[in-house]
Amino acid sequence: MTITAQEAEPYIELNGVRKGFKFGTEGISIFSDLNLSIARGDFVAVMGPSGSGKSTLLNILSGIDSPDAGKVRIGKSHLDRMGESARSSWRAHNMGIVFQFYNLLPMLNTAQNVELPLLLKPLTRRQRSARVDTVLDLVGLNGRQKQYPNRMSGGQQQRVGIARAIVADPGLLLCDEPTGDLDRKSANDILEMLGFLNRELNKTIVMVTHDPEAARFARRTLHLDKGTFIEQGMDSQ
Amino acid sequence: MSSQFKQTFVMIRANLGSLPRRAWISLSMVLSVALVVSVLIGFLSMAKGFETALASAGSASVAIIFGGGTNQEIGSDIPPEMIRNLKASKGDTGIARDANGDLIVSRETLVPVDVRRLADGADQALALRGMDPAGPSLRDGAALSGGRLFAPGSREIVVGKRIASEFAGFDIGDKVRLGPLDWTVAGHFAAGGSAFESEIWADMEAVQSAFDRQGQVQTVRVRLDGPAGLKTLQAVLAASSGTPIVAMPEVDFYVSQSERISSLIRLFGWPIALLMAIGATAGALNTMMSSVSDRSVEIATVRTLGFSRFAAFSATWVEAMLMSLVGTCTGAIASWLVFNGWQASTLGANNTQMAFQLSVTTDLMLQASLLGLAIGIVGGALPAFAATRLPLASALRNSG
Ligand SMILES: Nc1ncnc2c1ncn2[C@@H]1O[C@H](COP(=O)(O)OP(=O)(O)OP(=O)(O)O)[C@@H](O)[C@H]1O
Ligand SMILES: [Mg+2]
Repeated sequence: MTITAQEAEPYIELNGVRKGFKFGTEGISIFSDLNLSIARGDFVAVMGPSGSGKSTLLNILSGIDSPDAGKVRIGKSHLDRMGESARSSWRAHNMGIVFQFYNLLPMLNTAQNVELPLLLKPLTRRQRSARVDTVLDLVGLNGRQKQYPNRMSGGQQQRVGIARAIVADPGLLLCDEPTGDLDRKSANDILEMLGFLNRELNKTIVMVTHDPEAARFARRTLHLDKGTFIEQGMDSQ
Repeated sequence: MSSQFKQTFVMIRANLGSLPRRAWISLSMVLSVALVVSVLIGFLSMAKGFETALASAGSASVAIIFGGGTNQEIGSDIPPEMIRNLKASKGDTGIARDANGDLIVSRETLVPVDVRRLADGADQALALRGMDPAGPSLRDGAALSGGRLFAPGSREIVVGKRIASEFAGFDIGDKVRLGPLDWTVAGHFAAGGSAFESEIWADMEAVQSAFDRQGQVQTVRVRLDGPAGLKTLQAVLAASSGTPIVAMPEVDFYVSQSERISSLIRLFGWPIALLMAIGATAGALNTMMSSVSDRSVEIATVRTLGFSRFAAFSATWVEAMLMSLVGTCTGAIASWLVFNGWQASTLGANNTQMAFQLSVTTDLMLQASLLGLAIGIVGGALPAFAATRLPLASALRNSG
């Protein structure tokens, strides 16, 4: 055994996760015993039929929802043992989230939207605006700082969304159908960008998608159905 | 700037930016706050104006003597022998004397009379005051503004300017029917807008005989002989009479009069304004709840980015406070423009009409404004709390 314990340990680990929702008196079970490991630097696509619990899985990973039972560990943090506000600040420092419908604030311009996560950090206005400019450059939106979301195409808005997700330089990106609302061309641009962030900046990415084409940009694809994963490794083919 | 403030600040900016999406309900909150504030200012300025009118009527160097155990004009009764004794007394009574060495006193009696008003033809009760010739000179702020005083023993009247302008047939030389008989208007007097201007003055004996009140004296008004006069007078009265007789400075009398009426106005005003404020608070709560649900995706988004509950709370609360602030300013400015200096009249002392001006002062605007702001503070608190409890996962599910 030459590999140290730390290297052997996966970056993300779900163990025996159980999650259900209550509808009045009836309850539905989404996962009864979900297990998952993701290595640091991986790019994982999660596919599966509608209602299979893909978004629920991302919510558990991001800590905006908590499992009914089981362990959720990301890096050294055990999310299942943390309170709501601890998870909230953990999220601010460790992950970026990309939404299907971008979720930009319509009354803030591009730069202000991208700046939001930086307001949680002890940075000066100058430092913040330099960081914003850098990531806008990275997503190809340099010069659009003052533009408002409603004046942009879907693809551009999603690039703002990605800029916002990476501006605080988190190690992990969670994307819930980031291309679900885009045409093929814009979708491919976004996926290229995610691939770039994974390869060049070593971001670990978990992306939920319905689109098999999108899944091809990932290193690894998981199929979620009836509460369990069926893996299809793209690399191994 | 701490991170919490930066978060709150940007959320407030986003909030206010999204106000046009809920313009109508926000406007309704602003208007209901404005309404509460104006109603309260209306009542308070009425009370204030009433106080001002009465307080400026009184003088410290004039005293009023009441008999019969009261310090109101109605119900007061001065026994005739008391006046005789006082006039006969050679020593110091505390009362000033005129050039002839006679005491400056005026026996007075008030009779309510019905008079028809110009504007609406309605009958109004006015105060007809019978007084001795010294009476007019015992009103320090009052002066003839036209004509002359009533002649002793004649059925002539002088009327306050306000009455002359508000009621028909009070021009100089006009004949007016007061009670069973006609009276001639001999003159007009002005008294700086004070309560006196709402009175009609006539000769004491003429009033007594016209209204069948021979020998009846309600009060005696006297000019005091210097600052020590009141003490001397009170001592003399206490020594000389069996029945309880009190003397009080005219200014005290009017202040006590105004206190009763103005506190009555406030007693009505505050509960009405408070009830309206409770209604407005419920409205504010509703407005802010819909603001939270309107902004739920945005709130959930920034909370997902790591924004604190504190920021979600304070941004919502500040929105409520800002709207109530706008409402408060609107209400205060509008009521200042409308109410300040507005002529009003009410039943004054002795069940007679008294005219006065509403007076919107800064301190009562402040009181009403605090109530207006309280609506936002109270009505916004619960929705602000609700904003912190927003379930993020389900709020984001609706973002499509
Ligand atoms: N907050 C919630 N309250 C009640 N039920 C919920 C909640 N969130 C999810 N569900 C239910 O859990 C199941 C899984 O939902 P989830 O959104 O995770 O599915 P999904 O795989 O993302 O579906 P889609 O592909 O349509 O986005 C669904 O049946 C959904 O109705
Ligand atoms: Mg989903």
